[in-house]
Amino acid sequence: MLDCGLDTTSVLNFLPLPLVHSPRLSKLPGWVSKDGTLNLEKELKECTGRVFVDSQPEFCLPERELLDLSTIDVILISNYHCMMALPYITEHTGFTGTVYATEPTLQIGRLLMEELVNFMERVPKAQSATCWKNKEIQRLLPGPLKDAVDVWTWKRCYSMQEVNSALSKVQLVGYSQKVELFGAVQVSPLSSGYSLGSSNWIIQSHHEKVSYVSGSSLLTTHPQPMDQSSLKNSDVLILTGLTQMPTANPDGMLGEFCSNLAMTIRAGGNVLVPCYSSGVIYDLLECLYQFIESANLGTTPFYFISPVANSSLEFSQIFAEWLCHNKQSKVYLPEPPFPHAELIQTNKLKHYPSIHGDFSSEFRQPCVVFTGHPSLRFGDVVHFMELWGKSSLNTIIFTEPDFSYLDALAPYQPLAMKCVYCPIDTRLNFHQVSKLLKEVQPLHVVCPEQYTQPPLTQSHRSDLMLELQPPPMPYRRCSVLNLPFRRRYERVYILPELANSLVPSEIKPGISLATVSAVLHSKDNKHTLQSVPKPPPMPPSKKRKRVIEEPPVVLAPKPLLSGAVPLEAFLSTLQKHGITEVKVEETADGHILHLQAEDTLIQLEEDGTHIVCDNNEPLRTTLRDLVLRFLQKL
Amino acid sequence: MDRECVSLLPSVCEVLADSGRSLPDDTSLEKLLDWFTWLTKAGGSQLEACPCLLEFIFAVVGNTASDPGVLSFALKLTGLLAATVDGFRMLQERSVLDLVFNHQRWQEAGLWEDPCLRIGWIQGLKNMLQHPKALGFFVKSDFIDPLLQLQTDSSLFVASAANQMLAHILLFFQRVSSAGCNGVNKNKDDRRTQTSITEHPAATVDTIAEYTAVLVAITEYLKESLVPKENLHQSLQILKLLSMLLAQAGPPLWDKLLQTVGDSLEELVTVSCSQLTLPLMDVILAAHSDTVHTARAVRILLLPLDIITGKTLLGTNTTADEHRFSMVEQLKSKTSCISIICACLTNTPQITLMPPDVLPCPPDLIVTAVLSLLRICSGISSSAGCSEACRNLIGSGKVQKCALEALTALNNSPGVKEKINDVFTVLIHYLDNPDSDPTVLHKSYQVLVKWTSVCTDLSFITDQLKQDLVEVVKKRVCDMRWEVRDSTVEFLGHLAGVHVFLKSPGEVRDACQALLGGCCTTPLLREALQDTESYVRASAISALAKTQARSWQQGEGLSQEETEIVSRLLEILSQDTEGFSRRAVVRYFIAWFSSCSSNSPPSSSTSLQMQCVRSVLSQGSADLDWEVKVHTLELAELLLDEAFSAHRGYRKCSDTHQAPSHPYGVVSDRAYTPHTHTGSRTKGVESDLARVLNSLVEQGVFSALLSGLVDCDRPVGLKACRLLITLRDTVCPLSLGALDATTATVSCELPSWSWGQEIRKILGKRKSDEARGQRSFSGAEEVDSEDCSVMQEACSVSVCEVLRSLSLDERLDVLTQSSDHVHNSPLSLLQDILTASAAHTHSDTQQAGQEVIVDCY
Repeated sequence: MLDCGLDTTSVLNFLPLPLVHSPRLSKLPGWVSKDGTLNLEKELKECTGRVFVDSQPEFCLPERELLDLSTIDVILISNYHCMMALPYITEHTGFTGTVYATEPTLQIGRLLMEELVNFMERVPKAQSATCWKNKEIQRLLPGPLKDAVDVWTWKRCYSMQEVNSALSKVQLVGYSQKVELFGAVQVSPLSSGYSLGSSNWIIQSHHEKVSYVSGSSLLTTHPQPMDQSSLKNSDVLILTGLTQMPTANPDGMLGEFCSNLAMTIRAGGNVLVPCYSSGVIYDLLECLYQFIESANLGTTPFYFISPVANSSLEFSQIFAEWLCHNKQSKVYLPEPPFPHAELIQTNKLKHYPSIHGDFSSEFRQPCVVFTGHPSLRFGDVVHFMELWGKSSLNTIIFTEPDFSYLDALAPYQPLAMKCVYCPIDTRLNFHQVSKLLKEVQPLHVVCPEQYTQPPLTQSHRSDLMLELQPPPMPYRRCSVLNLPFRRRYERVYILPELANSLVPSEIKPGISLATVSAVLHSKDNKHTLQSVPKPPPMPPSKKRKRVIEEPPVVLAPKPLLSGAVPLEAFLSTLQKHGITEVKVEETADGHILHLQAEDTLIQLEEDGTHIVCDNNEPLRTTLRDLVLRFLQKL
Repeated sequence: MDRECVSLLPSVCEVLADSGRSLPDDTSLEKLLDWFTWLTKAGGSQLEACPCLLEFIFAVVGNTASDPGVLSFALKLTGLLAATVDGFRMLQERSVLDLVFNHQRWQEAGLWEDPCLRIGWIQGLKNMLQHPKALGFFVKSDFIDPLLQLQTDSSLFVASAANQMLAHILLFFQRVSSAGCNGVNKNKDDRRTQTSITEHPAATVDTIAEYTAVLVAITEYLKESLVPKENLHQSLQILKLLSMLLAQAGPPLWDKLLQTVGDSLEELVTVSCSQLTLPLMDVILAAHSDTVHTARAVRILLLPLDIITGKTLLGTNTTADEHRFSMVEQLKSKTSCISIICACLTNTPQITLMPPDVLPCPPDLIVTAVLSLLRICSGISSSAGCSEACRNLIGSGKVQKCALEALTALNNSPGVKEKINDVFTVLIHYLDNPDSDPTVLHKSYQVLVKWTSVCTDLSFITDQLKQDLVEVVKKRVCDMRWEVRDSTVEFLGHLAGVHVFLKSPGEVRDACQALLGGCCTTPLLREALQDTESYVRASAISALAKTQARSWQQGEGLSQEETEIVSRLLEILSQDTEGFSRRAVVRYFIAWFSSCSSNSPPSSSTSLQMQCVRSVLSQGSADLDWEVKVHTLELAELLLDEAFSAHRGYRKCSDTHQAPSHPYGVVSDRAYTPHTHTGSRTKGVESDLARVLNSLVEQGVFSALLSGLVDCDRPVGLKACRLLITLRDTVCPLSLGALDATTATVSCELPSWSWGQEIRKILGKRKSDEARGQRSFSGAEEVDSEDCSVMQEACSVSVCEVLRSLSLDERLDVLTQSSDHVHNSPLSLLQDILTASAAHTHSDTQQAGQEVIVDCY
């Protein structure tokens, strides 16, 4: 299984979970159908024309019906954003396999999962809403709830116990480390340049190679740069995880982020940045570190609020070997690789596990707050939305591309707060991936169907799609694809004593051939040729001799012939042997020689020779011997 | 040529003729040539004044081992000397021209291989071809063929020089052959043809025949050589020559050229070789004459825009359709697409100004097409045109910049003012787009200002657009890139300088207020005064001056905010570490002072001005940056003008004429014409003058002028000297004789440090010179106890006495000379050549093993 990401967009259909009681949310009217026949007031609430489910937010689980999860042997994880569904896969499903991931992926993935569980558990909702999921009822609901698919598969968040159990199945790997899987294939993670510990995977046998390219980046941010050269010579390249914002240049977005932030602070407002606790936030802090002095924002406090804030900031500093070269070298100075250490030291950046406790007493405005969750449905961000949403001086700046910011803001409307959307997605865009594929030249490319046509909202942008020769193989949800290559060769080992007995013949320059009789021993997908065991000698017996059975005759294998019979030379040989009347007929596969006087046919083909000679065995054997003169015996 | 140069020239010629001698540097010969060129233009015969030049030419040309650089110089010099009829005749009589310009001789000697010599040959001939006799010589010597061959020389410089030479021959002598034409000069600005007529009115039949021969040879060559797909380099050269000629040629030549090459050009257009597309377009543009040809040329030029945007710019006329297919193919390639569309955009403003019968569509449709192109480039809209071509343009910064430049110029096109809303919409999108690079943003601002200035009625602009503009300006003022912040702040200033009419008749406001509202601009600019980048601070200061100009002119009182701004600016002047900001502050005060007229009633503005002026003058004149000091003196000049505006005898310093510049900065004429004061003045005038003088001293104007006079930066000293002379001529002109008692009492303090010390030294020296003169009569020594030069503390001196004692006129003479007037004079150049040669000779004669120690400094 390649990755197990969690589709969290389903949470946008749910009401936010406020940490502090929100009169506004609690007073939202319940939904009743227009004709009054359907009353779901307890489950559904209305807010400025949209309907939201009033229960614990639920996630859309990965597709499971096509697959028996207990048959999965291995899960390969690309980056910590692509493992959030892991507990759903490994727990209570009979899964007994192994999960492979790099250490930062595991540790930061753990933090994100812990954070998610924490966000859910600290605002428990007793009720769960299920009536609305009824098909007959759902189709009567207003959109987008009406259009939500597979809602019965939506589940609440897992527990910490399930997280720990899932993560216990993870085996750590390093970049370029080769891991043998049941002797059948080798897998190896390569740096993808997207986030700390993020990987692309090579799955290869001795003769075939499949590359799996997931979230990758060529930008010079904090992770190690992308390893491109190792992707070469792939039979198949599976491509996914391209940027969700192909028209939004990350540098431009960073500039927008800074200018909007400065504009708001100078006007006396606060800035709220909903974000994940790891990833782009490190780059944002690094950018702000340089920007704040030049923008005269040196006295503005920055807050990072998350249950895992401290761990996230610390982890970023200790995973030095997973960082880009510039940051790695700082470790030897020694200096912390990320500048947010200095921001913390100088009290410009402060982090808190939640809004309760020290934060509430130390909090100053105007300020900038980085906090989760980007969906605005849970986490400390909900409180800040309630607190700051009424003032047009404040600004919320969306930097994560995973959620539609308009949908995220819907339950907070009407909102006076300014909203700025500058999604920063550093993953490969179409132009970059086209260049990459030209460079690595895989034989076949497999990618999601969406990449083979322009985006729906920008159908005129024919540059925002993959145009390859040969065209890629598209896949869509629930489709089953036969990859266009077969495993044709296997490596077989030969024991030394058997190898010594081989007599190779060179049939072409650089290519030799030898026949071998041996026993093929296959175990754990490893194949070995061993010598044929000699039958044990019969022990002397005192019993009456019975009719001694002759041991089975082991016939020597017939010699193999290779080569080609050159026509002219053969005709000349026939002539020397007194066969002069030969009519040559050309066929699709070779030639037919009519020996007219002898009433004999010789069929010369590329892979065989036939001598048709009725009742003239001497002639046949003579002709056979003449043919053999031109062939090599192996 | 002055006597000293004449005396040195023979030795210099000798040095140059000696191939073994070295020159001071590579530019010596070029500088010498420049000097001779100047002398030739100034008139007079150099050959008569310096016969050594002829000997030099003979010596160099006769010696094939001469340095190629010197040979080349000799050829060019010969041409210069033959540029006058007399010089030509003298050289012809001595057979110099045949010897020098005989290219076969140079080929046989193996020297023709050197491009240096070929260039010298071409430029020498060009220098010479200034009169019909020279043309006759050129034709008789059969120089046209080698010149045509040099057009495709392997050296780009030689080929270019040959091109220009051909153009020179055809254009300079074209009027000679215009007998019989209607005499209408197509290109009225071609002064060269006018000059050629006045200088050589008596064109003979021979000259006409010679010119015709040359013309025929050249046109035949053009026709034969303009072959598509053969020798691309040659075709490129010819197209360059053609566009040069057609842009300047008069009717007979122009007609002849088109007649000759018209078919070849058509063929080239049809073949559509991409490397020739741009030069072809230049030729087509230069070739427009009658309506039919111009209309055709316009259609070809608009074709790329039509194809890409899908706007029907070419109407139903299918003339350009024959080119459409080949154009589409060219637009599918990214490189040629961008080049072609940029060439198209560059010409659109000119096209829209053409007569309506030539245009295939109204100018506003062309503006619409350019706006559509801008939208395509930013990826926000699709096009009904060729999608493959559109793809090539998405994100192209070059095309965006070109389109914005075109849009700037299109504001003058007829009937386009109604497009202002569309223009604003596109520009605001570009200003808001995070991917717009700083240059694109800068140009977008320029376009906005331009269109606002012509569409002075802004009622067409919707409130939403104004709001969007406000938001985008606020954002850009906080941009990470200093260039963007600087452009935004500059934009605010430029906008404030545009005056627009509002709905109520007669109500005029500045565009900044009208578009952005009154409460937006000043706070943003105040914030920008604290920007970390000095350019941004400087731009903010300049913009503040522009935003407040109107209120200053109307004599309105200063608000609290404006008073705070003034305080902040004074802080910047005293504390800012960067010169740009401090210069801008002084210019702010200049703008402020010049806006407030003396007839305005006193207000808080004028009283604050008076409070500030001393501080500004004092700090500005002590600044380390010379430009700040010059601006401070400009402020002082303003105050002088203002103070003496009522005085009849006052003549502004700016009314004096500037000295003509000389290439090597030799001593020039007097820099000003002194005002001569006749007669005496009344007591009332005197007391008035004294009062004004006193106020100037109190304001610190006089101190600033004195400080500037002794400044080590020449522009500062020069300005201060001129102003002091103006002041002197107003209050105590030398022609008046003895000082008037009233004005003589006005005194000023001379500090004992810095400039005060310098002034004291000058005054002390003058006094001691005078005293020495007196002692020679009386024999007795006198010590002046009130001599400032010996006093340690500040002393008080009479202003008028100081003005008369500073030898301002002599000082002005010295200051007017350029800093390098000695170093860059012809005499210096000749001396350098001789010195370098002597050093080279000396080093040759030095014994082996002796080390030459050169002081690096």
